[in-house]
Amino acid sequence: MVGSPVLFIAIPLLAAFLIPLLGMIWKESVRIVPGLVLAYLLVLSVSLLQHVLAFGPIIEIIAGWKPPIGINLVFSPFSGFLVTLMLFLGLLVWAYSYRFKRNVEYEPALKYFLMLMMLITGSVGMTLTGDIFNMFVFIEITSISAYGLTSYYKERNSAEASFKYILLGSLASTFLLLAIMIIYSQLGTLNMADIATKMHLMKPGYKVASLIFFITALGIEAEIFPLNGWAPDAYAEAPGPVGAAFAGIVVKAAVYAVIRVIYTLFDLPGAYQFLIVIGIITMVIAETAAIRQEKLKRMLAYSSIGQMGLVLIAFGFGTKEGIYAALFIMFNHAIIKSLLFFSGSYLAYNSTEKNIADVSGMAKHLPLTSLLFALGAFAIIGLPPFAGFWSKLAVLTAAADSSLWLIIALVLAVSVVELVYYLRVVNRVYFFKKEEDMEPQKPTVNAMIVMLILGAIILLVGFYPDSVTGLLHKASSDLMDKSQYIQHVLSAR
Amino acid sequence: MNESLFSLLNYGVYGTAVILMLIGLYGALIKKSLLKIVIGLSVVDSGLNLLIVALGYYKGGTAPIFSPAYLAHPQLMVDPVPQALVLTAIVIGFGVTAVALALVIRLYRHHGTLNIDQIKNLKW
Amino acid sequence: MKKLLVIVLLAVLGFYTASTFFDIGFGSPHFVKGIDPVKDIYINQTVKSLNVPNAVTSIVVNFRGFDTLGEVTVLFLAVTVLGSVLYKKRHEVGERSVLFSASSVVTSGAKLIFPAIILLGAYVFIHGHLSPGGGFQGGVIIATGFLLMLLSYESYSVSHKALSIVESLAGITFAGVGLLGLLHGGSFLHNFLPTGVMNSLFSGGIIPIIYIAVGFKVAAELTGVIYTVLNEKGEGNE
Repeated sequence: MVGSPVLFIAIPLLAAFLIPLLGMIWKESVRIVPGLVLAYLLVLSVSLLQHVLAFGPIIEIIAGWKPPIGINLVFSPFSGFLVTLMLFLGLLVWAYSYRFKRNVEYEPALKYFLMLMMLITGSVGMTLTGDIFNMFVFIEITSISAYGLTSYYKERNSAEASFKYILLGSLASTFLLLAIMIIYSQLGTLNMADIATKMHLMKPGYKVASLIFFITALGIEAEIFPLNGWAPDAYAEAPGPVGAAFAGIVVKAAVYAVIRVIYTLFDLPGAYQFLIVIGIITMVIAETAAIRQEKLKRMLAYSSIGQMGLVLIAFGFGTKEGIYAALFIMFNHAIIKSLLFFSGSYLAYNSTEKNIADVSGMAKHLPLTSLLFALGAFAIIGLPPFAGFWSKLAVLTAAADSSLWLIIALVLAVSVVELVYYLRVVNRVYFFKKEEDMEPQKPTVNAMIVMLILGAIILLVGFYPDSVTGLLHKASSDLMDKSQYIQHVLSAR
Repeated sequence: MNESLFSLLNYGVYGTAVILMLIGLYGALIKKSLLKIVIGLSVVDSGLNLLIVALGYYKGGTAPIFSPAYLAHPQLMVDPVPQALVLTAIVIGFGVTAVALALVIRLYRHHGTLNIDQIKNLKW
Repeated sequence: MKKLLVIVLLAVLGFYTASTFFDIGFGSPHFVKGIDPVKDIYINQTVKSLNVPNAVTSIVVNFRGFDTLGEVTVLFLAVTVLGSVLYKKRHEVGERSVLFSASSVVTSGAKLIFPAIILLGAYVFIHGHLSPGGGFQGGVIIATGFLLMLLSYESYSVSHKALSIVESLAGITFAGVGLLGLLHGGSFLHNFLPTGVMNSLFSGGIIPIIYIAVGFKVAAELTGVIYTVLNEKGEGNE
């Protein structure tokens, strides 16, 4: 074996404790060490993923107590795929902000990179853990770093956004604990696989109560309507790369948690229909809100919420095709939305308000960045031949397989709405005149490389979707097979 | 303690915990002062912690610490798991409260007021 | 109107939660019949294989030690976030905002009692595996000692650098012991040291080591929180 999944948590934590010490000796290390850690973990996760695809999931036992006594981590094709995606994006976000934060003093830089690393570690932990209380701990690690990153810029109204987030976030942790305690009081265990085997013993009343508390709590993190009040503000006020990290990493982990709870923990058939309903509501409301936004990042945030609605719908089909489609959207959304956030924050770099109107005529000054933004916009709408097309197609096929014609119509209608509001921006970038005579900020070398990598992936997946679909198929059949998950975890040694 | 009196405790302990949570939530959702909102959030935490610890109590149980006399009777102990979980929950609640208070300080520095009506952008 | 809505919402929530928990019942084992809850295993193994009398400690540090690592990280992050939220450039740092002259009774009393508080805190976390208490409780006690000194003496100050060094070293110890367990016993946080004789100070393998590290870490972090907030100049608009 190449390494152990527990290193995904242990190494970043060790580094986080070490960085303040190293920073006293060599200041530059606070920027470099997180990148090295993320790069190492990405290599580890890719090699573990290959191992897992060949030999089946790795169950990592912690403290020498096998499940259900101790805590365990599960590195299966499904969670491994998400972890690799998160670490890849995390590395890109780090590379993008490496020089972005060049002119920042030592202390804030130290804190920025620490919080960024812990944000990624918390999300990875949420995805890997096999224990519901441990999941709660990782959710808190993620959200506390997210509060800090949201309020990073003093010049903006970031403290307000962060306070809103904290208000909802602590409600989320309250509900999550209530749900966990109801389950513990009945089944006397906290291990997910163990809970799943004993779930049928629980009275239906308790099942429904804990499921409601779970969905409320995780819905706040996963931006499900009407619990997503924090998201647009947080995305808009946070630094640009952090917006990408929220959309690409944190929300993915939260959606994973929702899905793990509904697919593995509970066996309530009505939960799937419930997912479809909240998915539709979230998607429709978010996309119609996006069209009314004046600020670029708020528009991207609403679009992100809308995409998560689509993911929930696809998961709600409850079929293998549905999960495949949902994973495909999650992958594409992570890549494309990061590109949009990265390039968008340079297009609106000089304006304090970051209005959509401020990007007018940027194509003349920043041709490559504008081109990449347009590429991202076309890809996320789902125009062929870009990556987004294949994932939308997968959703539509999955819906057609389950004969949910209404959903097909809705998804198509929403795509038109997306087309309208993204083209509005692209149109401004290319065909409007610039209003003020300000020299726009040129992207740094790192940022340009990062954006080009993302653009290349969009094109690659667009022309050769087969490059990822094999992996996605394996990951989706892994999630479907609940009994195998239980058996793997409980027979771990 | 006789049985009927003890069964009333059921309502007493859980009821207190739930009422504490409701008071805290009311404060967090209705009050106009940022500081009171943060206080409300930590009252919710206290109620929740009380609820969790109460869940682990068994009638006549002892603290989950072995002494030579109790070594033979582990079944007399209360459930230690909720106590361990509540320790984690308290620490996490502390961390969140500290961050929230820091934000309140910064908002006050910026706006010179704690009233949420006077801080625009803080409305939903 | 909003008030009414909130009250109705809270009433529904309260009724639902309360009735669920009333139904679960208080004071008796409430698990479903036919399962063996993990708490029995925890209690039995605490004595059998860990040789530690305090079952809560054994759960917090060994069975669910991974949670505790996360918990310590949450505290570490809270301090980091606090520093980031309240960060000021060096020339903007003012004097302490909480400045009131304490009477001589308080100042001399504080000086007298301060070492005793530190000692008590250290006692609590060193004996965490034998008696009630542990790293978190001991660390909080030590932090109250520093709070007392900060409130009694206007000139009292704590070195931020020293705090961050203690914090980092303690954190590295925790994670390092965990990784040593991975090397020696095959799993992270594995108890690879001999467990010794029950009820003696040097028993329980890695449990006391971890709890002492946690104690130092919590003490440093809480003192850091107090110190950062106390140094905040609360002058309204800038």
